[in-house]
Amino acid sequence: MVCGGGLAAWMTVATLARHLPDTVRVTLAEIDSDHRCADLFYGTVSGPGSYAFNLAAGVTEPALVLGSSAAFSWGSKYVHWAEGGRSWIQCFNLALPVIDGVLMHQYLVQQGMTRLDPFLLGAVAGSRGTFAHPPRSPGAAGQQPLARAEYGYHFDPASHARCFAAAVPPGRIHHLKGALTRVAVGDGAITGIALDGADMVTADLYLDCSGPSAELLSRLDPAWLGGRALQISADDVAEARLGPPVRSVSFHDKGWAAQTPLRGSTRSLTVSDATASCNARGGLSASATLGRRQRAWAGNCVGIGHAAGIVEPLTPAPMMLLERDIERLMTLIPVSTASMTVEEREYNRRHGEDHHHAMRFTRALLETSALPDSDFWRAARDTPDAELEHKLAMFAERGLLVSYDLEPFHPEDWLIMHFGIGRRPRRHDRLADRADAKRVRRYLDDAAQQVANAAAALPSNHVYMTQLERYLRQDPRK
Amino acid sequence: MAAAALAAKLAGLPIAITLVESDEIGTVGVGEATLPHIRAFNLALGIDEAEMMRATEATYKLGIEFCDWGRRGDRYIHPFGDFGPTTNDVPFYQYWLKLRQSGDRSRIDEYSYPVIAAEQGRFRRPSGDLDAVESTFGYAYQFDAGLYAKFLRSFAEKRGVSRTEGRVVRVVQDGETGFVRDVVLTNGTTISADLFIDCSGFRGLLIETALQSGYDDWSAWLPCNRAIAVPTQSNGALRPFTRATARTAGWQWRIPLQHRVGNGHVYCSSFISDDEAHDQLVAGLDAPMQAEPRRLSFTTGRRREFWKKNVVAIGLAGGFLEPLESTSINLIQDGITELLAVFPDKGFGARDIAEYNRRIGLHYERIRDFLLLHYVATQRDDSEMWRHFRNLRLPDSLSERIDAWRTRGHLIQYEFGLFLSPSWVAVFLGQNLVPDRHDPRVESMSIDALTARASDVRAKVDAAVRRTPEHTAFIRESGGAARLAVAGA
Repeated sequence: MVCGGGLAAWMTVATLARHLPDTVRVTLAEIDSDHRCADLFYGTVSGPGSYAFNLAAGVTEPALVLGSSAAFSWGSKYVHWAEGGRSWIQCFNLALPVIDGVLMHQYLVQQGMTRLDPFLLGAVAGSRGTFAHPPRSPGAAGQQPLARAEYGYHFDPASHARCFAAAVPPGRIHHLKGALTRVAVGDGAITGIALDGADMVTADLYLDCSGPSAELLSRLDPAWLGGRALQISADDVAEARLGPPVRSVSFHDKGWAAQTPLRGSTRSLTVSDATASCNARGGLSASATLGRRQRAWAGNCVGIGHAAGIVEPLTPAPMMLLERDIERLMTLIPVSTASMTVEEREYNRRHGEDHHHAMRFTRALLETSALPDSDFWRAARDTPDAELEHKLAMFAERGLLVSYDLEPFHPEDWLIMHFGIGRRPRRHDRLADRADAKRVRRYLDDAAQQVANAAAALPSNHVYMTQLERYLRQDPRK
Repeated sequence: MAAAALAAKLAGLPIAITLVESDEIGTVGVGEATLPHIRAFNLALGIDEAEMMRATEATYKLGIEFCDWGRRGDRYIHPFGDFGPTTNDVPFYQYWLKLRQSGDRSRIDEYSYPVIAAEQGRFRRPSGDLDAVESTFGYAYQFDAGLYAKFLRSFAEKRGVSRTEGRVVRVVQDGETGFVRDVVLTNGTTISADLFIDCSGFRGLLIETALQSGYDDWSAWLPCNRAIAVPTQSNGALRPFTRATARTAGWQWRIPLQHRVGNGHVYCSSFISDDEAHDQLVAGLDAPMQAEPRRLSFTTGRRREFWKKNVVAIGLAGGFLEPLESTSINLIQDGITELLAVFPDKGFGARDIAEYNRRIGLHYERIRDFLLLHYVATQRDDSEMWRHFRNLRLPDSLSERIDAWRTRGHLIQYEFGLFLSPSWVAVFLGQNLVPDRHDPRVESMSIDALTARASDVRAKVDAAVRRTPEHTAFIRESGGAARLAVAGA
C-alpha cells in the first residue's frame, strides 16, 4: 500500500505497477493534503539518471514532453557564487578524457588554465541558451563533443507527478482517496489505516509517501536526525518563449533563489529560514526541517522521499534521492511477510549512505568566500564532515578526486564544482609532465574549439523544444 | 612489476629509479595465476601479449575451477564473466532461481560462455560486438611468475632502471624524521633515495623491520599459514583455467603453463602436519614432479600502514592473502596503480599517505571476505578445519552479505573492490548456497516465456563455444607459443 500523494506517491506507484507481477496487489491510499506545497522541496531540476528512471516507470520522454511542463536541463548556473563573485554552470557531463593515463584536468592545472567550462558542452551551450539531444551511438557521432554532455529536466513536481499517474496501466492499482483518519500500530508495525473514518484497510507492506509529516513511518520511528528548518516558496510567471536550458541560482543574505525555465512559465523558487516572512506572491509555500529519519524502513513500513529524508534543493539531489529510494525499494521488495529484517537493514544502510553523500555535495557548494557571512549561511555551513574535508583537501593539494562507494554525484560532478567555484590545486599530477607541453596546449585548445563550434551549431532551447513538440504531436508514439 | 611500471609511467621525468634485487633470494612461486586486470597493466606498459606469453610460458585463463568445496565431489568454475543477460533490471541468476524452483535442472554454468568454453578447453579473445555472447567475458593468464619478473626486469632496464645486485643488510633512517635515508648492501654499497618501495616479501624489510608499521593478523578468519609448491610435467591438453581443490586442512592448486604445471598445497599447520600436507599434495598430483617441493610459511593479514613515512610496501611486504582467487599478483598491481594515483612529492603529504592506505586497506578487506566465503559457504564438516569454520564468527561485512544472499539472492553492492557481483554469484551457487527465495520481480515473466528465453541463452552459449578454437591451438595461432612441448597439443 502506497500511502500519501504527490510526486513521491505517483513515481512509486508507476514503478511498482510496471515491475511487480500482477499477483501483487498495489493500493494507493491518496490522502487529502496539498502535496504541491511540500513537494516544492524536491526542487525544480533532475539529473541525467531521470531519463532511465522515467522509462522504467513507463514515462517515455515524449510522454513527459507532451504531458507536463518539463524542459531540458544542462544543469544549474550558480550566479556570483564562486570565488571573486564569478558564476559557473554546474552541468552534467560524462567522464572527461584520460590522456596517457592522466585525467584531463591535471593538464589544465599544469598549464595554469583555471577554467573547465570551455571543455563542457553543457556549460557552453547553457550559457548560449542552446540545446540538442546528445547522440548515444557508438560510431563517429559518439565521439562528438555533444556526445559527452548529459542532461536532466527542469520540472514542476505537480505536473511531473501527473505524468507518472498517467503511466499507470488502467486497472492495475486499487485507488482509495480521502482523509487519513487512523493509523493503527502494533508490535513495531503498521496494522492498518482508515480513510474518512471508514473500515481499516491493511497491507503487507506500507510505503509512506505522505511527505515530511510521515504519517505512517513517524509512528514507528519518530526520531528525525534534523538540521535546519527552511521555508520554500514558488511563484510562476507565464512565458511565451521557453528560457535557457539552465536553472539559475543566486544567493542573498537570508537564503537563495532559483529561476527555472519550464514550458509555459518560469518558476521562481526562494529558500530562506523557516522563521523568515514568506515572500510568495500568491504562490505556493511550505516549510520543513532538513535531515533524515533514523530508519527509512521500519518494520513493514518504508518512507519514500520526504517521509524519510529532506535535502535542500540547491542541487538535483532531492530528485536523485527520491529516484534512488524507489530503485532501492525495487531491489528489496520483500520476499516474505514473516520477516523483512534483511531488507530493512540493507535498505537503511544504503539510504543513510545516499543521504550523506547528497548532503556532502550540497554542503561542498557552500565552501566559497562569495557567500555572505549571515545567519542563514553560517547555519548552512555548520555541519562538520571529515570525509568532505578529505575530499576538498585532496583536491586542493593535488587535484585528486576522492570517491566513496556508489555516490550519487560522480567524480566529474565534483570536478565541475571544484573548477567552477575556483578551487585551484596546489600542484598537478607529476605524470602530466611527461607529455610535451606545447602538444598538450594544442590538444586542449582544439578540444575547447570543438566544444565551442558544436555549441554554436545548436538551436536555441526554445526552437529545439518547439520543433520537438510539433514533431511529437504529429505522432506521439515516436 | 613496480620497477617496470614506474619506469614506464615516470619516463621522461627527472626521477631516477634503482632496483635492488638479489639473485640469492628466490621468488615465492605462489601466485602464478592472474586476474583479467593484468591485461590493463600490460597494456599500460605497452607490452605485446604474444611476446609476453612466449617469454613467460603463459597460457590463457578463463576462470578458476573449484573442486570439493561445497561438498566432496562437487566442482564449479568461477568465470571471468557474468551468467546470462540482465532483464528488466533483474540479473539473470534470479530468473534461474525461479526456473530451478519450477523443476528445471539446467546448471547456472550453462548460461556462461567462459565456463562452457573453459570446460571444453577452448579459448578466444572477447568479441568487440557487445551483442555477441563472445563479448561477455574477460580473460587473464597463467604464467611463470619468475619468468614474468625477468621479462619485466629487462623491460625496466631498457627504460633506464638501474639494477643493483645485492642484499640489503642495513637500513639507515633519518634521526629526526625517521624517514629511510639509505639502504646498505652486502658489498657495502649505500643507496640513497627519496622514496623507497619495499618489495622484500613477507618480512617487509623496510616497512616492518625498520619502520615497524605493525601487522593486522587475520588468521582468526583465514588460518592457513603454510604452503608447499612443486612443479610437475605438463600432462595432456592445456586447460584455460586454474584449479583449486579443497583438502582436509587447506587446498591444492594446479596451474597449467606451457612448459610445466605449477602445483601447491596451502594448509593450516594447526590441522595437519607438514609431512601429511606433503603426502596429500603428492597424492593429488597428476604427473611426475620436476623438482623437490619448496616450503613457505606466512601469516594472513595486512600491514597496519602499507605506506609509512617514505616507504610503500607493495606485494607480500604489504600483506598476505592466500592465492585461492589469484589475488597475489593483483594486489601488487593495485599497490602500484594506487601509488601512481597519489604519487608523492618530497613533502610526503600525510593526506596522500592516508588516502593510499585507505584505498589499499579496502581492497584487502573485501578480498578477505570473498576468500573467507569459500570456507564458510560449504556443507563440509569432514575434518577439523571444516568444523572450525562452522563455528567461526564472521566479520559483520561478510555475515550481512551471506544473510542477504541466503534470504533472497540479494547481493550487497560496492563500487571499489576486486570481486563484483558475478564473482559472488559464482561462489555462492557453486558451493550450493542457493537462496531461499528469488526476487519477486521475476514473477512478471511467465514460466513458459522464461523457459524459452533460458533455452535460447543456452543455445547461444553452446553455439558460440562450438565456434571457439581449442586453447592450445589458439596459443599457437596467436603467436604466444614458447615451445609447447605438450603431448597431443
